[in-house]
Amino acid sequence: MTELSLKINGEDIAADVEHRLSLADFIRDHRRLTGTHLGCEHGVCGACTVLMDGEPVRSCITLAAVADGTEITTIEGFDDDEPMSDLRQAFHENHALQCGYCTPGMLIAARDIVTRLPDAEEDRVRLELAGNLCRCTGYVGIVKAILSVLDQGRA
Amino acid sequence: MADDGERSAKGIGARVLRKEDARHLTGKGKFTSDFKRPGQKEMAFVRSSVAHARIKSINKPAGFENAVFTADDLSDLKPMRAPSKLPGYKASDYPSLAINKVRFAGEPVAVCVADSRAEAEDIAQLVKVEYDLLPAVTDMLAAKAADAALLHEEWENNIVFETFSDDDFSKIADEATVIIKREYRMNRQAMNPMEGKAVFAEWDDRQDQLMVWTSTQVPHLIRTGLAEFLDLEQRQVRVIAPDVGGGFGCKALLQPEELIAGWLARKLECPIRWVEDRREHLVTGANCREHHYFVTLHATPDGRMLGLDCDVTVDAGAYSVYPFTNGLEGAMAHGNLPGPYDIKAYRCRTQTMVTNKPGLMPYRGVARPGVCYAMEMTIDALAREIGMEAHEIRMKNMVPESAMPFMSIANKHFDSGNYAKSVEMAAEMIGLKEIRAAQTEMDTEGRLTGVGMGSYVEQTAHGTSVFSSWGVAMVPGYEQATVRLTPDGGLELRIGVQSHGQGMETSMAQMAYEVLGIDPENVMVTHGDTGLTPYSTGTYASRSMVMAGGATARACRVLAERMEIIGAHLLQCERAEASIVGGKVVSGKGEVSFAEIGRVWYLNPDELPENVDQGGVEVTMGYRPEPDSGAFTYASHACKVSVDIETGKVKVLDYAIVEDCGTMVNPMIVEGQTYGGATQGIGTALLEESPYDDMGNPGASTFADYMMPSATDAPQYRIDHMESPSPFTEYGIKGMGEGGTIPTPAAIGNAINDALKQIGAEVVETPFTPRRVRAAIAAAQTNR
Amino acid sequence: MKPAKFEHQRMTSVDDAVKALGEADKEIRVLGGGQSLGPMMNLRLAQPDVLLDLSRVDGLTDIEEDGNRLKIGSRVTHARIEDGEVPGTTGAYMQFVASGISYRSVRNRGTIGGSVAHSDPAADWPSALLALGGHVTAAGPEGLRTISLDGFTVGPFSTGLGFDEVLTGFELAVLGPGARWGYYKVNRKPGEFADAIGAITVGAEPRAVCGATESAPFRVPEIEQRLSAGADELSVVDARNILEEHDTGFDDYELQIHAVALSRAVKRAFE
Repeated sequence: MTELSLKINGEDIAADVEHRLSLADFIRDHRRLTGTHLGCEHGVCGACTVLMDGEPVRSCITLAAVADGTEITTIEGFDDDEPMSDLRQAFHENHALQCGYCTPGMLIAARDIVTRLPDAEEDRVRLELAGNLCRCTGYVGIVKAILSVLDQGRA
Repeated sequence: MADDGERSAKGIGARVLRKEDARHLTGKGKFTSDFKRPGQKEMAFVRSSVAHARIKSINKPAGFENAVFTADDLSDLKPMRAPSKLPGYKASDYPSLAINKVRFAGEPVAVCVADSRAEAEDIAQLVKVEYDLLPAVTDMLAAKAADAALLHEEWENNIVFETFSDDDFSKIADEATVIIKREYRMNRQAMNPMEGKAVFAEWDDRQDQLMVWTSTQVPHLIRTGLAEFLDLEQRQVRVIAPDVGGGFGCKALLQPEELIAGWLARKLECPIRWVEDRREHLVTGANCREHHYFVTLHATPDGRMLGLDCDVTVDAGAYSVYPFTNGLEGAMAHGNLPGPYDIKAYRCRTQTMVTNKPGLMPYRGVARPGVCYAMEMTIDALAREIGMEAHEIRMKNMVPESAMPFMSIANKHFDSGNYAKSVEMAAEMIGLKEIRAAQTEMDTEGRLTGVGMGSYVEQTAHGTSVFSSWGVAMVPGYEQATVRLTPDGGLELRIGVQSHGQGMETSMAQMAYEVLGIDPENVMVTHGDTGLTPYSTGTYASRSMVMAGGATARACRVLAERMEIIGAHLLQCERAEASIVGGKVVSGKGEVSFAEIGRVWYLNPDELPENVDQGGVEVTMGYRPEPDSGAFTYASHACKVSVDIETGKVKVLDYAIVEDCGTMVNPMIVEGQTYGGATQGIGTALLEESPYDDMGNPGASTFADYMMPSATDAPQYRIDHMESPSPFTEYGIKGMGEGGTIPTPAAIGNAINDALKQIGAEVVETPFTPRRVRAAIAAAQTNR
Repeated sequence: MKPAKFEHQRMTSVDDAVKALGEADKEIRVLGGGQSLGPMMNLRLAQPDVLLDLSRVDGLTDIEEDGNRLKIGSRVTHARIEDGEVPGTTGAYMQFVASGISYRSVRNRGTIGGSVAHSDPAADWPSALLALGGHVTAAGPEGLRTISLDGFTVGPFSTGLGFDEVLTGFELAVLGPGARWGYYKVNRKPGEFADAIGAITVGAEPRAVCGATESAPFRVPEIEQRLSAGADELSVVDARNILEEHDTGFDDYELQIHAVALSRAVKRAFE
């Protein structure tokens, strides 16, 4: 077991976990924040994306032990976050989700796009989204939603 | 009825934003893998490392004898068996854990139980299985050889199911002087909803009941199957599908892991969880498609298609899936190959072969993406042969609107629509003329451009008569819905189908609104729980909106009558004077809110008349379209692609869709389903493949090997709608959940071949990978 | 899909890591960003007993230009390179390469040193850095040493690093302001591993690399000679003919796409 001290969604957490435990399983099974989803567990699908020290990472291939001392934000931790609020509304209005399984990771990736690349156009948005798989929507609503938030920012 | 202004805002035809979204956008959806209970244990499987072998021994590791279970331990768990009355179909047992023999790599051989998945996998890694290898049958055509190894030794060959219909081609021989012959393959792939399968099982002593939460499209069928194979009474099983992260077919079946979880939960007296990982999904639980075609098309030099002669082979893998069997693919291929066309002569043979691969499962579109691909690619081959535009051939041969309803040569009872118009509109949308004008030259990057189309007609929401003709164990009948007024005037709507992305919590509420005028926000839709909803065969075959939607409308109408009677009493007017307007009972004497009716029924029955309907304000009604031969959705897709001649890489540049699913309940959802389906079709066309080597080892067990369509692979689709209501269904609705997948491989394949025609190359095998496209180009260059 | 048991050890210095590697009597792996090792462990394709985590080790995350050498610490992430932290023409080249590696959320964790030490034949940095030229720096029991990038990658998942050495960074050639570079990757989708890589730099002397092979990336002297002689293009047919002289084990399709990658890399270099 290894001792862990980190911040999740603003809350200080101390825990003693198995060395091999992934950050995703720590978040989901230990902290019961089940909005972080596992879609492939090998770093390709993006469903498990969370913020680590403000940057999106794949929690399925990041060890909980490696997250010691960091600040983690999961989909449950964006209540007062303006870009996320805008994205949630835009996802809703553009039918950017169907089953909802990829949605938390997709939103966190989308938030990274709108904050890091305020000038992005459609091709760039698609390229940046290539690491987040959605099986339901064909990405149509997702791309539209992100572009609409980018456009608001540029208005 | 709701008044018209209101109805357009929230009823049938309105783009109502989804009620489901809020929880998913905040991470508060609840999926099966999110369940956790004190004392729960997790399962991990020892899966066969070989494709075909006799099991010599299974060695449980020392110290873990009580944590490892084999078929011997589960001897009271019956093997799954999917019967069918289809002539010639051979039923076989599908054991949940392999008995004596394994038939595909990945087949469960033993199950290991521990406090965590990681520990269960640790134990699984220690289990030693010794095999006596048998020759593996890994190709469906090779499976036909007289000396091929037998998958099921009690059979005389590897054919599990065969259909044949002959016809007299001499009647068209004089006219049909153009004969086009082609061979096609649509390769095996996997379904890949983003959430794989998951199951959580717990025995409830108080209820004497097995509680199973599972990621399924068909909770009632799972309940029936669990009871049957676990030897429980039906009352002893309750199945709940919580949020389900996509299904596409693989969750419309009972899977071995669900049975084993149920067995263990009872045996070990603790909650059992299993979450399918992506590797398990790719190599065991969701294989699909895999058809082979020899097609001969007989046509006139001016593009009339007169005869179709086809040999279809389906690679069904090792086992038949419960309850729909592996006979469905062949039966549906046979019945759908001629598509929307009026053809005079049709001969078809289908052979469904068992091979040492995972059992083939019905995936979104079921067989139709394959037959549409074979048919539509052949039409374009004919077009190139006779020098005519392919879309003109399509329009010329489609069943005309004036002939509706129309019995097709494959005995499909087409209900309504203008098929040719969809072709014309799609050709216009994609800009066929403009593309042709600019097409001849290769661009500076060495790319050729091509345009292609695909059209289909899809039988949806087909009912009792159709499924009973397929002879499967579970035949849908009257779909039921329960509606119940709440004491404050809201509505509870209970349906036995299951929504896993289709937005039925919204669209079914729109149906209720259409009849009762209760705001969709105040309609609670409950689905996916056998304890709370009417029995239903579930969500598959593009049936839920027609069937459960129709049942909802019927139930709401009966509820409306009862509320009108109560309302008339409260208003002290004649029954005939009271009617529902805008969510209230209204007469010349005033109005009564539904909340008032609810209050009176539930809390102040002393205010009710003596002769009140004792059924109260809760109604269950059944619905089945008449006739139930299906509502036929159709569409034409057109796309523009570029082919990089040097690398063989294909890019979809533009994509236009014209579809007609009759009356649209929520066009936003219709479009979302179509885009998603088409993108899965792009996966089939260009990316996704589950190859197996000669030993039967899977070649794609991770997303590093298995290419899923990303945002960069999907175009920004353009869509237009036609609305030809079905004369046979409530409100003229037709099903449409699957259609998007059907013509995409054909449209893209045709576009590639259009691009390649100037160098004489042609692709005939999906996915059209860079390697296959390059091989076609290289072959054409060699032939020159 | 969960990893087998292992012990995760947080290192506080490179020396500690070297010592731990030298004393190990079991399988021990150095953990960089973990973006390649993580999936392999989850799939149980890698089952190390011990992971040495370098994330607390100081001094491995610097980027500095030192005359004609560019020093880059092993723990510099792909994302920092993508964001332009490496200066000059070399930086522009590396920025282009970095931005094509996997996805942003992986680039935020994945490191250049981890990628080169892991040495997946389909990864970008082994090919891209070979085309740049320079040295790997490694710490071992005898202290620091430099190893030429030429020949450093030996084969799939195999490098010139000793079992008790830790890759600490790179000393790379600096491309002058007028230098040219071209990098072309053939893959199925953005972010996916490469099926073929062509990497060209034309600085003090031209370097041409054929990457994403069955084994290690290799320099193609025939192309370098042509570039030295002033060629500014390379046809696919010529590239195919050149590659056919090498012992690559390519089938026809692989030969084709590697030739295309080299041809297009040259084209990009001179656009």
